[in-house]
Amino acid sequence: MSARRFTRREVVGGALATGAALCLPGSRARAAGSDPRPAWLEGGPLPWRNWSGFQRCQPVSRLGPASETELLAQLAGGTGTIRPAGAGHSFSALVPCDGALLFLDNLAGIASVDASSLQAEVFAGTRLGMLGPELALHGQALPNLPDIDYQTLGGAIATSTHGTGGSFGSLSSTVVGLTLATPTGELLECDAQRNAEVFQAARTSLGALGVVTRFRLQNTAAFKLVEKTSWRDLDDVLANLARERAENRYFEFYAFPHSDTALAIATNETAAEPYTVGEDDPGGLQLLARLFAVTRWLPGIGTPLYDAFLRNSGTTERADWSYRVLTHPRTTRFNEMEYTVPVGAGPDCLREILRTIREHDLPICFPIECRSVREDDVWLSMFYERPGFSISVHQFADLDFRPYFAAVEPIFWKYEGRPHWGKLHTLDAARLAALYPRWREFRAVRRALDPTRRLVNAHLATLLGT
Amino acid sequence: MAKRFRTALLSLLIPSLFACDADSGRVAQIALDPGQTRAYRTACAACHARPDIGAPLTGIDADWRERRKKGIEGLLVSTVNGFRGMPPLGTCGLCSENDFRALIRYMAGLP
Repeated sequence: MSARRFTRREVVGGALATGAALCLPGSRARAAGSDPRPAWLEGGPLPWRNWSGFQRCQPVSRLGPASETELLAQLAGGTGTIRPAGAGHSFSALVPCDGALLFLDNLAGIASVDASSLQAEVFAGTRLGMLGPELALHGQALPNLPDIDYQTLGGAIATSTHGTGGSFGSLSSTVVGLTLATPTGELLECDAQRNAEVFQAARTSLGALGVVTRFRLQNTAAFKLVEKTSWRDLDDVLANLARERAENRYFEFYAFPHSDTALAIATNETAAEPYTVGEDDPGGLQLLARLFAVTRWLPGIGTPLYDAFLRNSGTTERADWSYRVLTHPRTTRFNEMEYTVPVGAGPDCLREILRTIREHDLPICFPIECRSVREDDVWLSMFYERPGFSISVHQFADLDFRPYFAAVEPIFWKYEGRPHWGKLHTLDAARLAALYPRWREFRAVRRALDPTRRLVNAHLATLLGT
Repeated sequence: MAKRFRTALLSLLIPSLFACDADSGRVAQIALDPGQTRAYRTACAACHARPDIGAPLTGIDADWRERRKKGIEGLLVSTVNGFRGMPPLGTCGLCSENDFRALIRYMAGLP
């Protein structure tokens, strides 16, 4: 979720801060949602925690192999559970285990580049934020990116992480080859011809098949983009969604609970030199929370006032190289649930979520992110043979997300939603099997590669039914 | 702003060489070992070398003056547990306690 510009900060921030501090549903929920688990104290063993802080564990060891050879020895030589940890940005429990955590920070960077095919082989430990500038040195760029770039390439592809744009698939769909270190200590080269079944499974692997060390990515020539934001009626955005998708290279929008307003973001190619009009406010989400906390207690005028503030919050326009425009810094931490529903069902699903929030009077102000993604042929991709409309609901990291997510998750199920693997959900193997036509094949590949379940933690055991 | 940006950029590009300049606005910085330099560039720099997002910038005295009052132990606890926008472990899951101490000292200008 972007921390977009809320430039009324100067006008309303000070006054609202006082009211919100006293206040209102936000602070009550904050107290109720505070985490009772003990914080780390100096002198204790270092824990592992994810980006939001909700997932945590106490591994017995942390491995940071400096080469594929070293990694193979670690995989073949150990016996306990081992989980690849990426950058720790997954909200779901893919990482926690009481065995060894594996970090590929020392297996990072570009391994090779092919200028004629616009392909690059990239080590899996590369952070997305470092990949854009490195590819640009070779005149290449990923065709699309998620809106956060803290993740490792390996973690992002293992969970089918995606951006927006009806003509673009997830990061997994850009993979044309990969190198997999198996739990038994083999190095497999995989693509559409070599180890083809493993390749199809490993393009979205959940880290359950082994450890992917390198990906060969199909890139494009480096390109520049201009991103323009606008405040719109939500009904107008939903009514014109197909046209927006067709006319813009990338289109997404944020719906605001308890409001009829949406923030639309259209991004297209440009030849312009970098420029910015307007200014992002990294504290915008905090301001929004204060604004919401105050206005929802003003009978009759609260909602119109809230809408009016949103619509007068200004817009931004910025042009730059693609990797700088498509990604955004995050200074507000949160927990997130995301499901992808069939593209045609997206508007109805979103409307039902917004209606549920209103009817249950859930004190939610965090904008709901809505994106479109092209179908692909990756077995466990949320977009497998189905173009998707991804709806992401968030809650501030220091608030309890459970009542909100529990209220909306059944709505996603009703619309045949597939959960994002790196985000919170409660589905188990039986329900997931019904959503993924190649589920059985994926499980067979997993059993063959990891018969002793070294890569299976408690969460994966639930997901995969192992 | 331009000076802050230049300082942040320098600290991103050459962290192990960028040390001990006491001229206006910058703090003296310890040197990092190669592993810590990699950790800094991979994890810390994503926010602490990026102006205008609210994170204190590496080597900028004004950004760290109040924070330094927590001392290295207080900053270490905030780093491991996460603090406001700062994610737990600063997204460096591989870092040891010693690495964190060095990285904090490097960014905050603590001796």
